[in-house]
Amino acid sequence: MESKVLKPVLAVYVAAFILFLYGPFFVLAILSFQQGPEGGPQFPIIEWSTYWYRHLFGFTPPSRIAPLPVGEALVRSLTLAFMTMVTATVLGVMAAQAFRRRFKGKGLVFYLIVLGMMVPGVLTGLGTSLLANNVIGIERHWWSTAFVAHVVYTFPFAFLVMLAILNRFDNSVEEASWALGVSPVRTFRKVTFPLIFPGVLSAMLFAFTLSFDEFPRTLFASGRDQTLPLAIYGTFSVEIHPNIFAFGVMTTLFSFALLSVYGILMALSVRRAKKTAMQEDIV
Amino acid sequence: MTVDTIRNNRQKSFSQLLLAPGVFWMLLFLVAPIVMIIYVSFWTQTTFSINSTLTLASWKNFFSSEAYVGALWTTLRLWLIVLSLTFIIGYPAALFVGLLVKSKTLATVLLVLCVIPFWTSFLIRVLAWRPMLGKEGAINIILQKLGLINTPIEALLFSELSVVIGMTQIYVVFMVGPIAFMLGRIDRNIIEAARDLGAGFGRIFWKIIFPLSLPGVVVGAIFVSVMVLGEFATSGALSGRKVNLLGNIIVTQVGSLKWAMASVVGVILTFLLAVVVAGFLRIVDLKSEL
Repeated sequence: MESKVLKPVLAVYVAAFILFLYGPFFVLAILSFQQGPEGGPQFPIIEWSTYWYRHLFGFTPPSRIAPLPVGEALVRSLTLAFMTMVTATVLGVMAAQAFRRRFKGKGLVFYLIVLGMMVPGVLTGLGTSLLANNVIGIERHWWSTAFVAHVVYTFPFAFLVMLAILNRFDNSVEEASWALGVSPVRTFRKVTFPLIFPGVLSAMLFAFTLSFDEFPRTLFASGRDQTLPLAIYGTFSVEIHPNIFAFGVMTTLFSFALLSVYGILMALSVRRAKKTAMQEDIV
Repeated sequence: MTVDTIRNNRQKSFSQLLLAPGVFWMLLFLVAPIVMIIYVSFWTQTTFSINSTLTLASWKNFFSSEAYVGALWTTLRLWLIVLSLTFIIGYPAALFVGLLVKSKTLATVLLVLCVIPFWTSFLIRVLAWRPMLGKEGAINIILQKLGLINTPIEALLFSELSVVIGMTQIYVVFMVGPIAFMLGRIDRNIIEAARDLGAGFGRIFWKIIFPLSLPGVVVGAIFVSVMVLGEFATSGALSGRKVNLLGNIIVTQVGSLKWAMASVVGVILTFLLAVVVAGFLRIVDLKSEL
């Protein structure tokens, strides 16, 4: 039987595949412990040290290598990601809510929204800056033009997540609430929203992480003040040092922290839903 | 009945109200910018400024310049190579995760393992290839230790090869995900029935498994194509400015305020994308699959 042979062969293949995905990152993590400030971004490791981590936080004596300009950039990126997250999720929930009913041009609107995630960042970035620079004649900033472009990119993700959640939504609970004379706004707040909350959380996670790491749109659409990916990009053209590797390890840890918060919130909301369900059983 | 109609109408206008902000946002900040790119590509560019007198000068410039047309071919070549590689490397992995793994938990764990690297900054992931591929990089050291080569291979970094390797690694997961999803939906009874009727694995694969996974391949191919065609950061960071894609030209043109030329390249890129996506959508009718 071929599949008896095929399965172990493919298992080994998948192991190699995962190594291919992770390999560069392991190398990067190892090299972030290079000795400093003389050690370069390559093998061999002269001596293991945490120099570049201390360098990142400014705990080392000044040397010829300038610290990464990440402090302000990090704050900007977090603010921008938060603004984008709120706007994209609100737009996504509203649009998905509207999509529960039939209306004329539904297909067209669907493609219009999804287009936002399909058009490459270079094009949206270029178009947005053309519009701002040459037509309206306003200055570009991370909180204006780049923010707008980020929402164009993340709103479709939030919309699709919410669409998937609302597709499985039981309409009768809402109808029951309306039949009992509860206003639509109150129904949404007290009935619909708690039920779709896990979806909202996922949409928020998507929007936040995508915006936080967004690079091509930001490169064109933001002005002088750099966001985090732009600050990293800035170090590309000059000589690279292991401090950028240390920084990569730190951002990955930060992402995992964010992911854990999401996991905990998700688990809590599931447990609360179970608890309410059990209480209803008892009554 | 009248109460029902009134309520229906009210709900209708309410749902239009819900939709309006999103639609306006997309029209203003997505459709209008793309229309602008087309419009500005016909503007007159002088050294220091640009004005809205319509001209074909930038278009003529693009097609008469060897460097620009060369970038077009490089983009197409790299796109084809990376697309094929992501498919060839990704399909077997998807086959294992989506179809051969019996336990749902293991399949989920494997998929999550594939997605985890995406929580590292895209630029850092690109940069991570430098210490991997460099002359004194990990791969050269390992190959030398194994005695496979005597002198380090220099062509690994700052070449077209390093761009291909980097892009394949970053985008292959977008191919694996959709294919594994489609493979997971195949009814195992069909495969069982074919086997009982005496079909070998090769026949089962080509007659059942592959055709049923095709929508996944198309979705993956669209994802990879859109991202590779719009790339400029990977080629910039890993080729040492030797590989110039259309995206790189847009970046440099905008950098020197040559908006008209950047727009010409933008229009060409949009056209390429439209052709590629439409072509893939002709292979499978995705609407009927979802």
